Amino acid sequence: MKIDRRSFLGLGLGAAAGIAVSPVGVKLTDDSSIWTQNWPWTPVPEDGEISYENSVCSLCPGSCGISVRKIKNRPVKIEGLDEYPVNDGGICLHGIAGLQYLYDPARVKSPMRKNGDRFEPISWDEAISLVSGKLADVRDSGAPHTLGLISGGAGGSVTALFKRFLDAFGSPNVYAMPSLEDNLSLTAATLHGAGNTIGFDLENADLVLSFGAGLIEGWGSPMACFKANSARRDRHAKLYQIEPRLSNTAANADRWIPIKPGTEADLALGLCAVLLKKNLFTPGEFFGGFNRFAAVVQKEYAPEKVEAVTGVKAADIEKLAVAFAKAKMPVAVPGKGRGDHGQNLKEFAAVQTLNALAGRLNKEGGAFVMNPDSYLAFPEASMDDAAEAGAGQEKSVGSVNELVDTLNASAKPVLNALFVYNANPCYTLRDTKRVKEAFKKVPFVVSFSSFMDETAMASDVILPASTFLERLEDVPTGGGLAKTVVGLTRPMVNPIFDTKNPGDALILLAQAMGGTIAESCAWDTYDECLEEVAGDIWDALSEDGYAVVSEGAPMGTPGTDFSFLASNPASVQAGGNGDLLLVPIDNIRLAGTAPASTPFAVKTVSDRVLSGTDIVVEINPETAKGLKDCGYAVLITSQGKARVKVNFNEGIMPGVIGMVKGLGHTFDNPYVAGKGVNVNDLIGPVIEPGSGMDAAFGIKATLSKA
Amino acid sequence: MIQNTKAHKFGMVIDLDKCTGCGSCMVSCMAENNVPFKEDESRKKDSITWMRVYKLTNGKSFPDTEVVYMPRPCQHCSGLGDHGHSPCVSVCPATATDYGYDTGIVSQIYTRCFGCRYCMGACPYHARYFNWWDPTWPEGMESYLSPNVSPRMRGVVEKCSFCYHRYQLAREKAYVEEREIEENEYQTACTTACPADAIIFGDLNNPAHQVHQIVKPDPHPDPRNHKVVGKSRNPKVFRLLERLGTNTKVYYMSEREWVRKAGDSYLDGEWDEVKNHHGSSSSHG
Amino acid sequence: MSEIENKTENGSMDGAGECAAGEPKDDKGLGLGVIFFLGAFLICFLSGWLLFPKLLYSKHEQPFNFDHKLHTEEAGDCESCHFFREDGTFSGIPDLASCMECHTDEPMGDTEDEAIFAEEYVAKEKEVPWFVYSRQPDCVYFSHAAHMMGENAKGKMDCKTCHGPIGESTTSRPYEENRLTGYSRDIWGKNIWGIKKNSWDRMKMDDCADCHVEMDGHKGYCFQCHK
Repeated sequence: MKIDRRSFLGLGLGAAAGIAVSPVGVKLTDDSSIWTQNWPWTPVPEDGEISYENSVCSLCPGSCGISVRKIKNRPVKIEGLDEYPVNDGGICLHGIAGLQYLYDPARVKSPMRKNGDRFEPISWDEAISLVSGKLADVRDSGAPHTLGLISGGAGGSVTALFKRFLDAFGSPNVYAMPSLEDNLSLTAATLHGAGNTIGFDLENADLVLSFGAGLIEGWGSPMACFKANSARRDRHAKLYQIEPRLSNTAANADRWIPIKPGTEADLALGLCAVLLKKNLFTPGEFFGGFNRFAAVVQKEYAPEKVEAVTGVKAADIEKLAVAFAKAKMPVAVPGKGRGDHGQNLKEFAAVQTLNALAGRLNKEGGAFVMNPDSYLAFPEASMDDAAEAGAGQEKSVGSVNELVDTLNASAKPVLNALFVYNANPCYTLRDTKRVKEAFKKVPFVVSFSSFMDETAMASDVILPASTFLERLEDVPTGGGLAKTVVGLTRPMVNPIFDTKNPGDALILLAQAMGGTIAESCAWDTYDECLEEVAGDIWDALSEDGYAVVSEGAPMGTPGTDFSFLASNPASVQAGGNGDLLLVPIDNIRLAGTAPASTPFAVKTVSDRVLSGTDIVVEINPETAKGLKDCGYAVLITSQGKARVKVNFNEGIMPGVIGMVKGLGHTFDNPYVAGKGVNVNDLIGPVIEPGSGMDAAFGIKATLSKA
Repeated sequence: MIQNTKAHKFGMVIDLDKCTGCGSCMVSCMAENNVPFKEDESRKKDSITWMRVYKLTNGKSFPDTEVVYMPRPCQHCSGLGDHGHSPCVSVCPATATDYGYDTGIVSQIYTRCFGCRYCMGACPYHARYFNWWDPTWPEGMESYLSPNVSPRMRGVVEKCSFCYHRYQLAREKAYVEEREIEENEYQTACTTACPADAIIFGDLNNPAHQVHQIVKPDPHPDPRNHKVVGKSRNPKVFRLLERLGTNTKVYYMSEREWVRKAGDSYLDGEWDEVKNHHGSSSSHG
Repeated sequence: MSEIENKTENGSMDGAGECAAGEPKDDKGLGLGVIFFLGAFLICFLSGWLLFPKLLYSKHEQPFNFDHKLHTEEAGDCESCHFFREDGTFSGIPDLASCMECHTDEPMGDTEDEAIFAEEYVAKEKEVPWFVYSRQPDCVYFSHAAHMMGENAKGKMDCKTCHGPIGESTTSRPYEENRLTGYSRDIWGKNIWGIKKNSWDRMKMDDCADCHVEMDGHKGYCFQCHK
């Protein structure tokens, strides 16, 4: 018997026939086609019961109500909360993308200690004893005032708890990052007396004269501004936007009035001059040299003079002033962009004076001079001798920018320890190199950041904060809003990582310090503290999720003190040299301060703003001699130099270069950082005398072909 | 074609004068529909954005420049003569996309799609996107994905679905309560997110719905161009590339003539004829 | 040894002899071929029918045995446990909290399975990792409400039409998972050819479509059942 070819053929055919009349072929064809549709690495999200929970977003001072959709208790989407008194269902892209912050690649996952150039994770016990030990040394050395605080949150009990800690410790050195809220408070203090702030009733005004206020760029409480702006068309109200660039606000406005950067104060005073000259103003309780002011502005800010400075035609200035005076419910709004950085008191005061002259103080649709009565009722702090001594001391300097300069200028450490909470000064303040240098001059920096951002990297210990989705906190609305609403941020998930509410971290620290500091923070948890100090509004907060603290026009008309403007303070000029002027642009799609943007937010940014890893600057084609649209160029200022791409934009004043804020982060998140340059690296601060505000609205620059 | 007398025709009208270009609609869409993201999203041709906001300018020089922002979801074309032959549906060799005659919504089924991208070529609005890569999320971030929309895989096309899953969810509730869904129960994620209230969504077939009242769609074919059905009788409302007869269900609205003109390209003199013509019932010629 | 080599070796022999000796050899070869054919056919045929399904599916036992019959007797109809939520979505397999509306960590009866449930899951507050026989892939959207309560649900379908008489079962059969697709065997059906006798024997798209055509006159649109 011989096995030959045919045997094999038989074997093959038999096998084939056998398979063919079995179900293998049919079944495998079907299964393999299904297999190609179901890769094991394609995620299959788990289904389950849908529920909604309300909370308040605390990413910015806007404090919008949010509704978190959960599937089987797992948050899957953030949406605006309907009928919430701030945002009524509206929500910005940062809030919607909020869940991305939970799993941000740059999150600090546990307490960290810097060892050489690297951070190493440590336990909370180790971290607390390390920090409390260092602080005890500072205090025992007899210089408790050398503990400093830089915070970014204007209100709320966590910031108040930080201040209380410093009080009990014996240090007055509490510094806030520049904010619209503080700028408005300073303006109110200058014009209407200390302890006040200003709110603008945009919802009811029939003519909003905005001096560059980015009402849809993130100014004030952004979603409240959006809602008011959207309703404007239905109310037949007008928005006039005064700005060097056709921003989104200007594009959406009824009229765009281009103006040379940094001359807004001149225009505001020019309008005041017209009102005074034509006797179109409403007399009020004016003091502090009103007549002197009237004389100064009519002389120094006559329309022709203002035309020369601002570029706005004299005839237009007169018409604008008349339109403002004749409108039924006009309001003038200060604060270029988001109204936080690069502002000056002269401009804020000039714009508010326009409201005062038009009789718009505390009137519906006008500017409310409000007393932001703190709803917080902390019990008396216990103070020992060191604390009493510290309480009597003056702050080292006035503003955070001055603090940075002082730290750098002094050979001896001005601060021995520094807390940073809810702020990223090493990215956000102008001339970041200067800020990083200053941080090196502080022997012990403690960051309470949720993310390994530029400032966290410059610190010695990180006590990581839970994000707004993981913690309880009261969040009052920030600057510019005509009402005060306190919202309750509630934990939507348990902390994903080994993080704590900064309030809890602070209470642990206080207890580790012992003595009167522990007595001043004698709560077991921050949640307990909040319930106690929220006092009267706690019931509303816990039941409704918010409490409206003030609403509607305040009673009476406040007086206006003209002494500051009557002295005709000098206008701040841009520093540096060059034939062009670089100005930062606020873009709603990019966060300019802490925390940085999410991957989703960066994804929405136009390729005319960010192209690969190149930042794109805007320039009017008229100014762009020798440059190509979309081509490379080198931007040079006295602070530094950057390779940029150029975008020809007819909507920007000739001679001006616009660069977006919020790019150029340097931390470890490939979706957000390592893209473009930080405009704050290229602009140096110009401190306005008196106010201490960094008034640098831009810097002179050159732009040449790369 | 399947006849259904009670058919919905979901559509939207976007007020370009209200739109601020803030991008909330884009992110709301991405978060709602499990749209992934990459390290570099600045190459816009491969950046998946079912809803994309375009910037239009009037082309005038400083200071007469004007800008509007135009959000662009899938336009959910009803096709020539309103028969459901959308440009993309007509060319799909895999029946991975079809026209829902009961809703007017153009579907996209990822597991059915084999990635030939004919539909992308056929779409006049660049509303379709191809997954050149498998989507990935940073560690842990997958846990925010929604089970209501299937995550996609490499090699398939995806696009806006008018948040069809929201329609499904609204209907489930209506079923158990034995009633029809209400106008406000089915709203797309972009509509609910818009802080400027610029997007209005609803049933174009339902005269009680706001979108119908604003658009006032002409049920008859345009006498000047029989391919066009559903032309708005509101002189401020227009559609993109309307004369192609794609019969989109996303309408735009603006007070400004240059904006309305930007919805199509016109030869010299053509615009003047078009601009005063608003549906067959219009008194203008 | 190959055929070609064979020929080369035989090349030295004379032609006539080769021809005469060739024929019976061929016959023999054919016979062997047939045997090989039949053998291979039989092996492959039987493997295809008997071995293949065993290889294709992996079997998983449920965490513990579940007695549907007992539960329907005690608790009522299917909807007592597999209920509609207020928002109209279907709860599917009950979670631990639902079970604990009746059960505690003290067994109510005396079955071994309930003891496992009480000890391993209720006491430890752990969800039971049931294998779901009727689990559809992620691309499928299925609305129970539409089929049981919707106005188009002609005749308002009962559970049995798709799920069969599972409510009468006293034991949980092993869950079989397709190794290639990851699907439950119930989707294709127990019959390896995919032949069905009852409406609940298969749950593939065509099975949905058959019923839709019968009831509505058309299969429906993609988004009706896909997401």
